[in-house]
Amino acid sequence: MSEHTTLRMEGILKEFPGVVANDHVDLSVERGEIHGLLGENGAGKSTLMKILYGLYSQDAGDIYLDGERLDLESPQDAIAAGIGMVHQHFMLIPRLTVAENVVLGEREPATVFRRDAEDSWLPAAVRNNSLVQSLAGQFSLGLDVPEQRIQDLADEYGFDIDVSAKVWELDVGQQQRVEILKALYRDVDLLILDEPTAVLTPTEAERLFDSLERLTDEGLSIIFITHKLTEVDAIVDRVTVLREGQNVGTAEVSSVSRADLAEMMVGREVLFEIDREAVDLGDPVLRAREIRASDNRDIEALSGIDLTVRQGEIVGIAGVSGNGQKELAEVMAGIRDVTGGKLEVNGADITGAKPKTFVENGVSFVPEDRLQYGCAEDLSVMHNATMKDFRNGRFGDRPFLDYGELRDYAETLVEEFDVRGVSDVTETKAGDLSGGNLQKLILAREIYRDPELLIANQPTRGVDVGAIEFIRETLLEQRKAGTGIILISEDLDEIFDLSDRILVVYEGEFVYETTPAEADRERIGLEMTGGGGDDGGETVASPPQSGITQGSES
Amino acid sequence: MNVAVNVDAREDIPVWLAYGTPVFTVLAALAVSAVALVVLDVNPVAAYATMFVETLFTEFGLTETLTKAVPLILTGLAVYLPLKAGLFNIGAEGQLVAGALAGTWIGLNLSLPGLALVPLMFVAAAVAGGIWAGIPAYMRAKWDVNEIITSLLLTFVALEIQSYLLRGPMQGGTGNFPQSERFSEAATIPELVSGVHAGLLVAVCMVVVTYVLMTRTRLGFEITFVGSNDEAARQAGMSKFYVYLLVFVVGGAFAAMGGISEIAGAQGRYRAGFEPGYGFTAIPIALLGRNSAFKVLLAGLFFAVLFVGGSSMEVAFGVPAALVEIIQALVILFLITAEFFKSYRVGIDIDRGPTEAPAQPQGGDD
Repeated sequence: MSEHTTLRMEGILKEFPGVVANDHVDLSVERGEIHGLLGENGAGKSTLMKILYGLYSQDAGDIYLDGERLDLESPQDAIAAGIGMVHQHFMLIPRLTVAENVVLGEREPATVFRRDAEDSWLPAAVRNNSLVQSLAGQFSLGLDVPEQRIQDLADEYGFDIDVSAKVWELDVGQQQRVEILKALYRDVDLLILDEPTAVLTPTEAERLFDSLERLTDEGLSIIFITHKLTEVDAIVDRVTVLREGQNVGTAEVSSVSRADLAEMMVGREVLFEIDREAVDLGDPVLRAREIRASDNRDIEALSGIDLTVRQGEIVGIAGVSGNGQKELAEVMAGIRDVTGGKLEVNGADITGAKPKTFVENGVSFVPEDRLQYGCAEDLSVMHNATMKDFRNGRFGDRPFLDYGELRDYAETLVEEFDVRGVSDVTETKAGDLSGGNLQKLILAREIYRDPELLIANQPTRGVDVGAIEFIRETLLEQRKAGTGIILISEDLDEIFDLSDRILVVYEGEFVYETTPAEADRERIGLEMTGGGGDDGGETVASPPQSGITQGSES
Repeated sequence: MNVAVNVDAREDIPVWLAYGTPVFTVLAALAVSAVALVVLDVNPVAAYATMFVETLFTEFGLTETLTKAVPLILTGLAVYLPLKAGLFNIGAEGQLVAGALAGTWIGLNLSLPGLALVPLMFVAAAVAGGIWAGIPAYMRAKWDVNEIITSLLLTFVALEIQSYLLRGPMQGGTGNFPQSERFSEAATIPELVSGVHAGLLVAVCMVVVTYVLMTRTRLGFEITFVGSNDEAARQAGMSKFYVYLLVFVVGGAFAAMGGISEIAGAQGRYRAGFEPGYGFTAIPIALLGRNSAFKVLLAGLFFAVLFVGGSSMEVAFGVPAALVEIIQALVILFLITAEFFKSYRVGIDIDRGPTEAPAQPQGGDD
C-alpha cells in the first residue's frame, strides 16, 4: 500500500441467490490515477462499483477512503464521502437545462423555502422548521440555479457546454460531460465511469479521454469500467481484472500486453485473428434495387441503395453512424417502409410486405438497440428466445402453444449459445441479463432458425471480449451454413475480419466498394467521412456538406 | 427536534410486498373506512362483521353475491384483457350498456324457445359490445388515438342512446317509466342453483377461456409480447393492429355479456340506471387481478361482497349507501399508493437529540 492510495476495498463479498458476484475482491486506487476495471460481462465489475456507490451493500468486507472506513447505505452517502458515478445510461432529464440537471439531485429547495432568502413571503419561523425544510427539500425545486458556478466548473475542465442549453439539444458526448459535471458539482474525489465509451463515437471518445486526463491532473481519481482492451491501452494507468467475481490481478498497463490482459479476463487464450475459410458463394438471397427510405423525422435517409447478398457471403457495411445504417437494416428486416425501390429475398418480391412475411421468408435481424427492438426486457428468457419461432408447428397445433416445448427450445438456445445468468428460462427476465449475454440470446434466436438472410447491426457493440469472439465465430459458422449476412458495424476491424465484401455508406448511399484483401484503410476512412472524391467505386452524388469534417484522417 | 423525510427507490421488491399488496390494500381501505363508520356512530367491528357474515354465511347473501359477481367478473375481464396488451379500456360501462340494449331488443322482439333465444341474446349483446369496443381500438391501432379517452367518451354516448331508447322506442310496461317491457319466460336466463342465474356459468367459462387464451395459445403469447414491447413484437412479425383490435373487441363482448346477464338474469326487464357502474368498478377489479384471469374472478367476487355487504350494512345500521362507494374508492386509492410504496421506500428520521441550531435562532418550534 503506498501513501498515495486513496481507495481501498478489502475482501468484498456479495452473493445473490445462486451466484457469488464478488468473491472477496480487493481493489486499491491511487490518487490521481485512472484505474481500469476490466472484465467480461457478468464478471462482477458493476456489482463491485454499485457497492462502492452505495447501491448495494456488501455481505462482507470493508471500504476505506483516505484511510477512513466508509459505511455506505445509499448513493447519497457515497456522494457525501466524495465518490461519484456516471452510469452507462444517462440519468438526465432532456427537457431541463444543463444547470437544472446538475443541481437536480441536490434537492435545492425553492427560493421561498430558503433559510437565507430575503424576499420570501414565508415567515422565517416556518422556513426554519426542520420538517418544512425536509419536505421542501424533497418536494420543491429551486430553479434559480447557481449557473455561474457550474459554467466555471465546465470551463475549468475544458468542457464546451453551455449550461443554459436544454439537455435534449446536446449530443451524446456532451450529455455524458453533463453527467460528469453533476459529479464534479458535488465535489467528488473519486469518479466511477461505467463503460463510458459504449455510447460514444471514436472522436467523442477521444475528447472524453482528454477531459479525463485533465481531471486526474487536478488530483481526481477515476475508476474506468471497460471491457475494451484498446481503451485500457489508451488511457488507463493501472488495471484490475475481474473474472467470475474474483480479482485475477492488478497490473501497470505499461508492463502487460494486450494478449495477457485478454487471457486474464477470459481465462484462456483469446484469438484476435479469426480464420476465415473460403466459402463458395451461392445464389443471391437478397436483391435490393434503388431502395429509398426516410428516417423517423421523414427526412430521406436512403437515397437509392443497390445491394445484393449471396448465400455464404458476409457483406460488411462501414460508415460513420447516422449515415443511413439504421434505416438500411430496418428496411432489409421489413420493419421500415420503403419509399421507393424493390426488395427480393430468395427470388420472392416482398417489397412493402409485413414484417411477418420477412420473418417467414427466412430473414433474421439482430437490431442495433437490443432493448428497444431486440427483446421485451420484462418478459422471460423463454418468451424472448421464442419470439420469432413460436408460430412454428413444433410448438403445438394451432391455436394452442405448447409452453413445455417453448421452454425446452429456450433451454437449448441458452445452453448452445452459452448464455449466462439464466437460472430458469421461464423466471429470468431478459432485462436481467448482462449486455453480452442478452446479445448472445438474441443472436441465438435469430440464427437457430437457420435463416436465409441475417442482418446484424452492431452485433458486438457494448459486449465483452469473450462474447465478441463468440459472436464473430457464430457469424462465420452461419456463413458456412449458407446464410447471406449483412454486417453493419462502426468497428472497422470487425468489418475487415469478417467481410467478404465491404461497402462504405455515406449520406444514404454506397460510395465505395472493396474487399478486405484489396482494401486500404485510409481510403475507407476518407470515404466514410465523405472525402473520397470520385475515382474508383461509385461517385458521391452531392458534395460533402459542411459540418462533416472532410478527410479528417489525412 | 429534527424531522427528515427520505424517499428512496427500492432496488428490488421484497416477495412479501409483491404478494401482500392486494391484501394490505384492502385491509387499509377497510381501516380508513372505519373512520367514516365511527363518525356515523357505528361500531366498525360490528359493521364489518355484518358485512362479511351476512354475505358469506347466509343463503340470501351468497345468492346475491354470486348474482352481483357475474357482471363484475365479466366487465373485469373486459378491462383485464386489453390491459395485457398494454391498453386501458375505461369504457367497459358503455360496452355493457350497448350489449344489454342489443340483447334486450332481441329478447323482446323475437319469439323463439328459450334454449335458442337466450343464446341468441348473448350473441347479439356480444356483437354490439364488440363493435362498441372496436371503435376506440381501431382508432388506437390505426391512428394512435388515445383509447382511454375514446373508450370513456363512448360510454356517455351509449348512456344517452340507452336513455333515448328507454323513453322512446323500447319503452314499455305500465306507467311512463324509462324501462322496457318485462321479458317473457323464454327470454329469461334460467336459474342455475338456488336463485343464481346461469349467467354465472357464462362468467366462469369466460374466465377459463381468457385464462387458456393467455397461457396456452399463440395469440396469448402475441398479446403478452405486444403488451410488453410492441416494437420488438413488430420486429418478430406480430401485428399490433390485430392484437389491439382483438383484445378490445373480445373485451367489449365480455362486458356486453355481463350487461345482458344482469338484465335477463337478475332484473327481468331493462330499467334505465339498472346497475351501479359495474363497468367502472371493473377497473380496480382488473388492476387487483392483473396477474391472471382467475385473480380477476376473485377480485370480482370480492367487489360483489362489498356491494352486497354494503347493502346489508345499510339496512342493519342505517349507514348511507354511499359508504360502499367510499370503501371502493379507498381500495382504488390505496392500490395506486401501494404501487408507489412497492417501488419506493419512505423513511422518517426523527432526531430528538441536541440539534445543531438552525440558521436563525428564533425558530421557536424545536
